[in-house]
Amino acid sequence: MHNPVAVARQTLAGISSGMLLFLISAGLSLIFGVLRILNFAHGALFMFGALIALSVAALIPDATTGFAAALAAAAAGVGVLGAAIETGLLRRIYRAPHEMQLLLTFALVFVLGDAAKLLWGRDEHSAAMPAALAGSAHAAGLSFPLYRLFLIAAGAAVAAGLWLMLHRTRWGMFVRAATMDREMLSALGVDTRTLFTTVFALGAALAGLGGALAAPIVAVGPGLHVQVLIDAFAVVVIGGLGSVPGAFLASLFVGLVNAFGVLAFPGLAVVLTFACMALVLIVRPRGLMGAAE
Amino acid sequence: MSAAILRVEALVKRFGGLTALDGVDLTVETGEFHAIIGPNGAGKSTFFNTLTGLLPPDSGRIAFAGRDITGEPPHHVARRGVARTFQITSVFGNLSTLENVQVALLAHARRSWSMWRRARGLRAERAQELLGLVGLAGSAEQPAGTLAHGDQKRLELAIALAGEPRLLLLDEPTAGMAAQERLESIRLVHRIAAGMGLSCVFTEHDMAVVFAVATRITVMHQGRVLAEGTPAEVRARPDVQQVYLGEPA
Amino acid sequence: MKPRHATPLAAAALLVALPSGLPDFWLFIAVQVLAFALYAVSFNVLLGYGGMLSFGHAAFFGTGGYTAALVLKQPGLAPALVLAGLLPAAMIVSGAAALVIGFFSVRRAGIYFAMLTFAFQMLLYTLALKATPLTGGDDGLTGLKPPGLIASPLAYYYFTLAVVGAGLYVLHRVVRSPFGYTLRALRANALRVQYLGVDVRAHRLAAFAVSGAFAGLAGAIFALSSGNVFPSWLDWTASATPVVMAVLGGTASFLGPALGAAVYVVLEVVISGRTEYWPLAMGVVIMALVLLMPAGLTGVWRKGG
Repeated sequence: MHNPVAVARQTLAGISSGMLLFLISAGLSLIFGVLRILNFAHGALFMFGALIALSVAALIPDATTGFAAALAAAAAGVGVLGAAIETGLLRRIYRAPHEMQLLLTFALVFVLGDAAKLLWGRDEHSAAMPAALAGSAHAAGLSFPLYRLFLIAAGAAVAAGLWLMLHRTRWGMFVRAATMDREMLSALGVDTRTLFTTVFALGAALAGLGGALAAPIVAVGPGLHVQVLIDAFAVVVIGGLGSVPGAFLASLFVGLVNAFGVLAFPGLAVVLTFACMALVLIVRPRGLMGAAE
Repeated sequence: MSAAILRVEALVKRFGGLTALDGVDLTVETGEFHAIIGPNGAGKSTFFNTLTGLLPPDSGRIAFAGRDITGEPPHHVARRGVARTFQITSVFGNLSTLENVQVALLAHARRSWSMWRRARGLRAERAQELLGLVGLAGSAEQPAGTLAHGDQKRLELAIALAGEPRLLLLDEPTAGMAAQERLESIRLVHRIAAGMGLSCVFTEHDMAVVFAVATRITVMHQGRVLAEGTPAEVRARPDVQQVYLGEPA
Repeated sequence: MKPRHATPLAAAALLVALPSGLPDFWLFIAVQVLAFALYAVSFNVLLGYGGMLSFGHAAFFGTGGYTAALVLKQPGLAPALVLAGLLPAAMIVSGAAALVIGFFSVRRAGIYFAMLTFAFQMLLYTLALKATPLTGGDDGLTGLKPPGLIASPLAYYYFTLAVVGAGLYVLHRVVRSPFGYTLRALRANALRVQYLGVDVRAHRLAAFAVSGAFAGLAGAIFALSSGNVFPSWLDWTASATPVVMAVLGGTASFLGPALGAAVYVVLEVVISGRTEYWPLAMGVVIMALVLLMPAGLTGVWRKGG
């Protein structure tokens, strides 16, 4: 199977799933970097994005408009949900011991998971793909689903947008500073409360957007939030907790590892992800680009 | 003739671009009460950290009682007979005052691996003795976290003494105390150290404290040793005076 | 009798008298409570005493369960041998797993320690899921019956009571020992403990191994009682269970987590009997716990007097 076409296809597949992973992991990493909380509920936020997208798209007859509306609604809806979670719940436990923070986000997983079942039922759905993006592109003897190419483009666009936000706005400057030193930030008079809320909301919105983008190609149902989260954890560890560029590189890495791993060791590709995660933690905990301890 | 209990040669420690210790030499004779002074950022805490193995030195040599201990981890250095207290009070707040000392005594006696015996009364007598020595005899049952700041410093001393050290390293032992308390505190340490034949190196900002008890002084500045000698010698040096111009007494 | 002994003794008496007239179902629940109590208390040795939050403790509970199941399914072993060897085997294997996992994990602290234990648990989960010839894969191992002598629910209940009682006694001695004191000091200030001449990493590893071994024992007991063991015992949501139980009961006392286990098991049984939205209910309970009652049930009780 050292067929260059197959390799190219797997590479593209890996990159496109890496982009989806990036959307979830970027938020997870930012939230940890600024709020110092490992948000176990992030996968559930992804799932909510997918479910919202499904519902909104179903309301709009024109597939392309429906798709665009679905993306917007998912990002906005989950962003708002995120803001609510942060102000209503997380805000109270910033000074609590780690086990309390862990339990709270875990509890959110349970609550959101069942809430999703209550609101959307227990079946699995897939969203309809907008006509413009269905089908495959052909080049150099290789055919590749258009939608996945779209994902790559979308992911890159989001990455670029995030980079701009983090490096060209005041907000972004505070976020990067917070990742380094939280205490200093409030000493400087920065309104950390609002900062935390916006960071969490943005992270959530990204996850929601990821879910919406994933909706046409994954089976959206109960349990989605679990699979997705494990990969996201591995990504943020490998990339470095708190680093968005790190999350980007690590997402591509994990995406590619999964794409090729599935071919090489069919049953055990998932082991590779955990093994990488463990290895990084053992050898270099700050990952590729995280802040030094 | 007294032998050097501690000999540090050309100790260097860098953090990225910052050179915290730039070739520090220090010799401490047995029985000395040696003060290290210098402005903030002179490298005093880094020095203690590197000395005791918390940070690996980039180059240089550390010899304790004639033995090379360069780069040995803290728990080895402690076993060799070096005890240390910390600038930010480090007692075990969740244990009682007595238990704090007991833990130290048990660790010294290599009993920290014992998983079956009841620890409750073990070494209690000796622990109580040490508490009495530092003036905490009445506080045995109190949770260490609720002790007043000055008492916590005393407890730190008791914990350090539990290890039967030959060298005591005290990092800002009077930090956070009012002026009068500082003198009493350092005199207590001096009395105990003299009584037990301990050598002592301590860092300090308050010159009154330093000149009250120190037998020798090392002045550090920007990671280097600026001056070293008896209090009278150091006091007289113009370069030392310049560094300390405006420094609160 | 000292006042602080009164409650545990009363509880013990209750536990001995309990089975009279109880239907088998509730005996089964009682066994689950006991097993989970041991699980929670052993977990708390790490958390409440040692200050180490492990996200991957279900790995050892599951390993114990699988080991017990595999021993039981060995053809041709004399029942007496099985009976004698089952539980020690579970403890040894889980303890060994804990030594290996701990060796790598204790080199890090805080969140990195937690994530490492989590990653290892997920590795073991994958092993349980994929190593089908050994572990039955997705289907797990089923049809487990306790060996003849302790096969009846009543007999198994008393057997469990004895084993869990012994296990708790051993753990109690460990936390009251010099090792236990050192562990508590580690929780307060690990740096300072190094300066006492103590190899912190080694002590943390020992605590991890002991905790893991007893979690494995609990898993073995539960596997025999429920008759099966599944990969889901090791999946990532299972890692929250010991944490919930310990915090629910209160991590500041030795038996607090045992109380938490009892409440947790009973809640689960009662709620999942009435609704399929058991996770939702559990989630709400946990939120209430964290936001309103972080000291746990024993914490509230103590304050109340």
